[in-house]
Amino acid sequence: MPQASRTKKPDVKVVILGDMNVGKTSLLHRYTERKFKDTISTVGGAFFLKQWGPYNISIWDTAGREQFHGLGSMYCRGAAAVILTYDVTNWQSLAELENRFLSLTDTANTDCIFAIVGNKADLTDTLAHGPDTESERGDEAQPEVPCPTPPGTPLQHKQVSREDAVALYARVLRYKGLEEKACLPAETVCFETSAKTGYNVDVLFETLFDLVLPSILKKRSEGESSTVDLETPMEVKRTKAGCCA
Amino acid sequence: MDPNSQQSGNMEEVKIFDPSILPPCLDQIDLAYSDSDVLSENHCVNEDHRMPSDPEGLLDSADPTSEESNQPQEPSSTDMQKLDIDDDRPLCAGGSETDSGKASEDSALVDNGQDDSSEFVVTVLARGKMEEQGMGMKGASSPLCDTPLGPPSHRNEDVTAESWRQHRKHVFVLSEAGKPIYSRYGSEEALSSTMGVMMALVSFVQSGDNIIRSVYSDEHTVVFMQRGPLVLVSVSSSRQSEQQLRNELLYVYNQIVSMLTQASITRIFEHKKNYDLRRLLAGSEKILDGLLDLVDSDPSLLLCAVHCLPLASSLRDSLSQILQKAITPNLVFSILIAKNQLLTIVQEKMVIDDARLEPADLHLLLNLIGASSAFQAGEIWTPICLPSFNPDCYFYAYISYLDPPECTVCLVLLSTDKEAFYSVAECKRKIEEAMQAQNALNAISKAHSYSVSQVGVSDLRHFMYKPFDVPDNHRQLTQFTSPEMEAPYGSEEEQTRLLDLYRDMHSRIHSTSRPLKLIYHVAERETLLAWVTSKFELYTCFSPLVTKTCAINAITKLLRWIKKEEDRLFIRYPPKYSTTPNPSKSSRDGH
Ligand SMILES: Nc1nc2c(ncn2[C@@H]2O[C@H](COP(=O)(O)OP(=O)(O)O)[C@@H](O)[C@H]2O)c(=O)[nH]1
Ligand SMILES: [Mg+2]
Repeated sequence: MPQASRTKKPDVKVVILGDMNVGKTSLLHRYTERKFKDTISTVGGAFFLKQWGPYNISIWDTAGREQFHGLGSMYCRGAAAVILTYDVTNWQSLAELENRFLSLTDTANTDCIFAIVGNKADLTDTLAHGPDTESERGDEAQPEVPCPTPPGTPLQHKQVSREDAVALYARVLRYKGLEEKACLPAETVCFETSAKTGYNVDVLFETLFDLVLPSILKKRSEGESSTVDLETPMEVKRTKAGCCA
Repeated sequence: MDPNSQQSGNMEEVKIFDPSILPPCLDQIDLAYSDSDVLSENHCVNEDHRMPSDPEGLLDSADPTSEESNQPQEPSSTDMQKLDIDDDRPLCAGGSETDSGKASEDSALVDNGQDDSSEFVVTVLARGKMEEQGMGMKGASSPLCDTPLGPPSHRNEDVTAESWRQHRKHVFVLSEAGKPIYSRYGSEEALSSTMGVMMALVSFVQSGDNIIRSVYSDEHTVVFMQRGPLVLVSVSSSRQSEQQLRNELLYVYNQIVSMLTQASITRIFEHKKNYDLRRLLAGSEKILDGLLDLVDSDPSLLLCAVHCLPLASSLRDSLSQILQKAITPNLVFSILIAKNQLLTIVQEKMVIDDARLEPADLHLLLNLIGASSAFQAGEIWTPICLPSFNPDCYFYAYISYLDPPECTVCLVLLSTDKEAFYSVAECKRKIEEAMQAQNALNAISKAHSYSVSQVGVSDLRHFMYKPFDVPDNHRQLTQFTSPEMEAPYGSEEEQTRLLDLYRDMHSRIHSTSRPLKLIYHVAERETLLAWVTSKFELYTCFSPLVTKTCAINAITKLLRWIKKEEDRLFIRYPPKYSTTPNPSKSSRDGH
């Protein structure tokens, strides 16, 4: 018999986009493996299934070279949420989101949720030197030990402020032709994280998973063929905002 | 923003029906010599007794058909008995005990047929500049003491430190405009002036309509290679031949092509000459680092052959059948790997008719998988170009481990359809189910490489055997077999030392100016015998006290043993399937 976890059909799709080296893989690794490892390179896209309550959430981690081989739109097709990731110490990485990655999301669901995530906050903020407390998980093997920063290591210059990210969010919505008022507020979907220390990582993923639940329910009620065809983009227009808060 | 980065790099997909996209295989460098070369360089002592193709006079001429004719012949033990090795002059191996003067005389060569004086100027210029730039022309420690495998990250090395200079082999990649793209040790930024000098050197020579190929000094060999808009440079104190270093640089170039395709690289630089390619390769340095570690430690890259995991042929056949049954349209290769060695490979019929998977492409694929394996829980879907197959097109590779969390058994499915992820992933479920039903994972986990003691030949410590042709199928994947490296080659240092000896034998066998067919080499701590025929290439390592007669008898026994075991050691008849949507084809094949 095949392993149960392997045969499950994904109910919904989440895609992590962003330039190379901003920490996409590290974020996912931190979330799923509770670890930070320095030697992971992403080849193409990596597909993961995450059990969330009764649902199976598929997550695509991408390499950041998508404009080269045209697979970006395949990774994004039918996505319910897209995590646009940048590195807070690198202004260019925020600019690239708009330049190179936003257009890849054209194949995502029309009601796709966008999150803007500034990673490597540990490099610029002492605040980010511990994991978030709000979402401390019971199943954690040991208390999170922040990677030791040698005393006196100066914090790096933060090149991207929260305001920049919020402004990008507004432009993303405009690009998508969405009313800002009808969408999730920036405070809900703009995060600063550290895969290294774990800061805000659980909050990010769990907030998003909760936000896509309505999308799953809608899909389930629409076609009882619970086999989700991820190839077909959802054509259903989202009418109400905040339906999920 | 950079306008380049916006171009929609839509690559053509591989159309397996179109023969024009199946270029001829890359030249196999290690086979590139002809008997006429041998003739002109004949060094025979007693020429009247010896055959023309027997340059060192190593073979007795009693059997005139054995080496001269191109007819494939089974190496028989009678042929073997006629071997008579006259010459046991120690050959240079890693420079430990031998006349290094001879070695440099043999190999010291810049380009034949080029203007000597300009070559000389360049050489001098190169030395001067390189010394100035700390390219390490002095003070290197013995190459045998360095281990090539260092800690994983060398990015933060101080490039002005002596330790940086002493690395056994540096590899640099730069663009034609002199922009740094990759350095094995130290960050490219820190090395940008050094790379600038190298580029100046290259363009200086180009301006004279020459191509700079290599520079030699007492301690180092510097090899340059230009491929399209990329320049690759190897600075090595490993005493390998220029041809071997060049071959290694070609692996590096092809690994870059495997990620971007040659067509994209060309297009990028046509668009913008001083494009910073690191923007596209960021994060991929580890893949190139991993490749260079493999180049130093894995003889399959030297031999351009694939190492199969020994497996009972019945088990290998049943695995192949499992793969054969789990197909979907546009699937072209199904590959099963365990412990980094090939278990089986099944190919689409149309593909195998026209071309075959080159070992070099498989090495690049395996390296790519290895470098990304740190995070093995997921299923990977990635575009990958197989440069020897077609340098301008992508395949789409599905990569997944079948035995989490150990992650030693890996399934790779290659499709020509970039949208096929979900249907290809479905093939994996079928394969997983079938393997579970047959308890195949358990059987695979029991498979392992063999010990040389199983051959039952005393004094034989290690060998590498690469057959050229498998009967009935000249399109066979080139393979080789080799036992585990055991004591006295248990330590990394000793393994490196043995590989160095093999590399030296290999370069002599494949020397373009003076290729040898047989080398009997008595070294201080072991005796080696290398032999190439029309049927195979063989490298053997014996204890130092072995006599010639013993070694020859041992090889006879070894060849018999391999013959007896070949069904287990090699993939004999690679199975095929048909996934072409062509109705006439598929109906004929019953799919
Ligand atoms: N200081 C710090 N480094 C990080 C963080 N996340 C990732 N990195 C490092 O940034 C590099 C790129 O990370 P990776 O996850 O591979 O980025 P990706 O290309 O976006 O997947 C690696 O060297 C990571 O160790 C973080 O939160 N803080
Ligand atoms: Mg990554």
